[in-house]
Order: sequence, then C-alpha cells, then structure tokens
Amino acid sequence: MTAPLATSAPTSPPTPAVFQLPPRATKAKETSVDQVQELAALDAPLLRQNVHWFCQLRWLVTLLLLLAAAAGHFGAILQPLGLAIPAGTMLAVAGILVVANVIYLRFIPARANGDGEPARCDNIRALRLHVWIQIVLDLLVLTAVVHVIGSVTSYAPFMYLFHIILACIFLSRVESLVVAAVAAALYGGCVALEGFGVVEPASVFTHPGRLVPDESPAAFWAWRVAFALGIWTIIWYLASRLAGALRERERRLAVANAQLNASSRERARHMLQTTHELKSPFSAIHANTQLLTGGFCGELPDKAVEVSEKIAARCQVVARQITEMLQLANLRSEGQTQPASKKLDLADIVQVAVDRATPTAAGRGISIDFHADPVSVRGVEDHLRMLADNLVGNAVNYSYDGGVVSVACSDAGDSAATLTICDHGIGIPADKLPHIFDDYYRTREAAQHNKASTGLGLAIVRDVAWAAGMDVRVESGPGWGTRFTVTIPKDRQHSALRPKPTAESHTYAVSARG
Amino acid sequence: MPYLLVVDDDEEFAAAVASALRKHGHEVALEHDPDGALARLGEQRPDAVLLDVMFPENPSAGFELARDIRRDHPDLPILMLTAVNQKFPLGFSAGDIDSTWLPVSEFLEKPVDLIELCERVDQIFR
Repeated sequence: MTAPLATSAPTSPPTPAVFQLPPRATKAKETSVDQVQELAALDAPLLRQNVHWFCQLRWLVTLLLLLAAAAGHFGAILQPLGLAIPAGTMLAVAGILVVANVIYLRFIPARANGDGEPARCDNIRALRLHVWIQIVLDLLVLTAVVHVIGSVTSYAPFMYLFHIILACIFLSRVESLVVAAVAAALYGGCVALEGFGVVEPASVFTHPGRLVPDESPAAFWAWRVAFALGIWTIIWYLASRLAGALRERERRLAVANAQLNASSRERARHMLQTTHELKSPFSAIHANTQLLTGGFCGELPDKAVEVSEKIAARCQVVARQITEMLQLANLRSEGQTQPASKKLDLADIVQVAVDRATPTAAGRGISIDFHADPVSVRGVEDHLRMLADNLVGNAVNYSYDGGVVSVACSDAGDSAATLTICDHGIGIPADKLPHIFDDYYRTREAAQHNKASTGLGLAIVRDVAWAAGMDVRVESGPGWGTRFTVTIPKDRQHSALRPKPTAESHTYAVSARG
Repeated sequence: MPYLLVVDDDEEFAAAVASALRKHGHEVALEHDPDGALARLGEQRPDAVLLDVMFPENPSAGFELARDIRRDHPDLPILMLTAVNQKFPLGFSAGDIDSTWLPVSEFLEKPVDLIELCERVDQIFR
C-alpha cells in the first residue's frame, strides 16, 4: 500500500472516451415447446387488457345510444331525415349497458397471486367466462337495438359484424364461429318473431313501407336475412382466416424461439461439460510440465528447459482459459442455488487481487499504488474476487513496462462504495470501447500487447456487475490509459433501484450477448 | 518423514503429484481406486490423504471415501484435489467444507500448482 490514488486524469494530451456498462437487457420470457401449444389461448394479461378495452368500447356505444335517445326526445331534429327514434327504448338500452359495464368492471377476475401454473389457469378460465358473458349479453342488447331500428328495413344487422370481427381477432376460429352462430340465431330469432307476429316489427324509419314490398313480404324478409347471414359468413371466413394465419405465425415464432432457447441452453451445458472433461487430462499435462520446469526431475539440458518452459507458459494460458470459461459458465448457469451474499471488506478483497498481480507487475517493473479506505459492501465473495482479480490483472497486463497502476477503494456515500483501477497503458480506441465486455473480444492492440489474454476477463466483470447491480464506467484512450470505476452497492436492495434499461442500452446489451 | 497417501484414478496426475511430494521430502503411496485406498489405510495409517472426488465408476466416490476415512480416523487430515469446478456438476466449493457433508481439511482445485500443493501439505503438518 503506497501513495493515495491520483484521481485526476493522467496528464497525456489525448482525451479519453467514456463508456458505461449498460444494464443487463431484460430477459424475454422463455416458453417451453410444450407451453407454446397453449399459446393459442390468450395469455391472462392480454385477455385482461382486452376485457378492459371491451368495457371502454361499451362506454362509447352507451354514449352513442344516449345521443340517439336525446335526438329521439327532440323528434323534430330527425323528422326531415325520415327518422323517429324511440327515446325511451334507447335510454333503457343505454341504462342496461351502463349497469352491465359497471358490473363487468367490478368483477373482472383479479390477477392470479403468484406465478403458480394452476392459479394462472384458473385465472384464464375465469377471464374467459367473463368475456363470454359480455359477448352473449352484448349480442342480446344488439338484437334489441336491431329490432328497434328495423331488423329487415335497415342496415342495422350489419352491426353484428363488429362483434364477429372482434371475435375473429381475439378468439379461436371455432369460438369466433360460435359467436357468429349466436349472432345469427339471435338475429334469425328476432326476424322470425317479427315475421310470425309474436313481436310487432319496429323501425326508426317513418316510412318503412317503401323498403318492404306489399307482395310476398315473407320472401323478402327471408331474402334479407339470408343475404345478411351470407355476408356475415364471408366476413367471418375472411377475418378468422386472416387472424388464424397471424396467430399461427405467432405460434411458429414462439416455437422457434423456444427451440432456440433450448438449443442455446444445451450448447452452454455442452460447453461446460466439455471444458470440465478437458480439465482432468489437462491437469496431468500441467502437473508433469511443472515436474520438468520445477526441477523435480533433476537437471535438464538447456534446450529441454527452454522447450518445457514454453509448454509451461502455454499451460498457464490454457489453465486460465479453462478457469475463466468455467467461471463464466457458472455465473450464467441457471437453476442452481444462488451463492450467498454477505458483508465483505472491499479493501481486503482488493488487497488480495493486488497481491496476486504484484509478482507479474514486479517482473515488468510496474508499480501498483493501492489506497484503501475501510469500506464494507454486500456481495458474493467469489464474484467480487473475480471482478477485482480481472480488473487489477488487466491494468497490469495492459500497462507498459515500468508503468504505474493506481488502485483505490473508497466510500461513495450511504449506499455505495467505489473501486477505481487506473493504468497508463495501451488504452482502448473509442470505437472499440462498447465491445470490450463481449465474450472473447480483444482489440488488435490488446492481443499484440498481451498474447496470454483470453478475452473472457471483462465478460466475467460484466456478468458479476450485472448479478450484483454494480455500475461500471470505463474511461480510456490510446496514449491515455484506462480507468475503470466500479460502483458497488453496500446493500443488495440498492441494485433493485437501478433504472430500467433504456431502448439504447437494451439494443446494446443484446449485441453484447447479454 | 511424513507418509502421504494419494488417491486419484488419473495415474499420470497422481504420479506427477507423488514425484513432487517425494522431492519435497515426503514418503508417498499411490492408490487409484477407493477400495484399494481403504485397504491400504487399514494396513498402515498415513499422516495425510490427498483425495480426488470423481472416480470412473462413481462420480462422488471421493466424498464417500472421505466420510469412510473420517469415520475410522477422525483426526486424519484430508486434502481434496478435484477437477470438479465450483457449482458444477456436483455443486460445492471450498466454502462447503463441513464435518458431515464434505469432511475434508483442505480443498484444492485442479489444475494444481505443485509448489502450492507442497505448501498446503506443509501447512497441514504445521
């Protein structure tokens, strides 16, 4: 531990570019291939949203009915148009809709508590029942309105099409056919009741006789009904087919997405397994190489020493690569118990990382200035060690021989601590900064400067930061060096207060294979 | 001279470890399966056991052997060497060492630095 970290920027003329590690992109809800089969039915949230929308639409219809009632009340307005609207009936229908709508809104099934599958299914069933009650009652009310306007003397029957088309969009093909059949039955029943004289035919037209021929009115009525039903059938066929095609495409996309997710998980599992399988034979190679280079086999000829040292150096790189691949795979593994987070002394952890990097640094004449304020953070010890090891190790690896690396940890207020690691090394060009946290990404300059780099160190830093809700800020420029500033929450709850990903950061995080 | 028993199914790795430990001044015996290890323990009690976790017939034979050894020799130091990474596939790390589940004294992950291994063994006898 030596002089305090100089927090001012290094004095070299170039200005560093700044990059902030974006938050983890919100993971899309994963759906299993089996669950996808159930997607034809609407998901509960979407169904609930539609139920609300139907209710809003109903308020609009109620308003139109009230306007019609008002117009009917002041009959003189409509007289020149040849219309006579029964205000009382319209008002009554509007009243029924208001009462029904209030009841619907009051009794929309609440959100299922918890994510349990049975609760979700019950919830969907209750919502569907709710939707069907609305549909049937709406069709009954519409039939009354159609009767009042004129079941065969007006174009009112075409209002059933609104219901049929909505059913095609929101329900399955069979269900939309049921809606169309219910509408046809109600309309046919209305016309039949009027035709057989059970109910007196009504009309808002003051001269309906003009539309109905005096001879064989029954044939005219039958023709009108058949025509209307024919049009409905065509509309139902077109709309349900179109909506069905869209739903099928959505289902196929969901299946493809589920398969991709499954194959991605399988690939990750396979990679983990393979890496692990490689570890055992590699351990034997590594151990035997150490026997040669560590003098355990006695004196070796110079050439043999040179060769075994080359093998040992490569072994170190492979060992590190295997360790980092497994660390990264473990950070990303799902379905495992999350490691416990506890109160940690940040200075202790960083001190260990500095100690670990010191032999390499000393070998290249690099000095590490470490300044630590006593500060506690809450986190997973292994993860924080990985983060500190990688950042301090990188600062040393990408420094020039004889350089200085400054490491500091300090209290950043009630909720966070800050870890700053600053080097005056090769730096990162501004256009490459957004990629440095990608798996296996190395800039050309970095690969030339440090041939042992695996390209996984900063990916580990990124995953640790995401898991623990840390902020990582990078300032860097060729000829200026690099400064990482990590803000570590003192309490895990603070990570929940992080802002949601913005559209820009979301796009970036996806490209970062987050 | 401390007498160590190295139990590992990977003969080459075990031989390399044994060479390093012998050079470091220890007497070393090798066993490549848990049954052989138990038999040898019965013949002559070592001062410490270096034990692998996974054996071809049984991926957790090392744990079981550690428990067997602890039952008969409660004070015998056990240094576990394993290629099993933290959390995968059996799910443990050095932090999980406890007297019932993972009754070992030390835990070292492969690939092993032989100099570090010798230091750890020295620490056991300190």
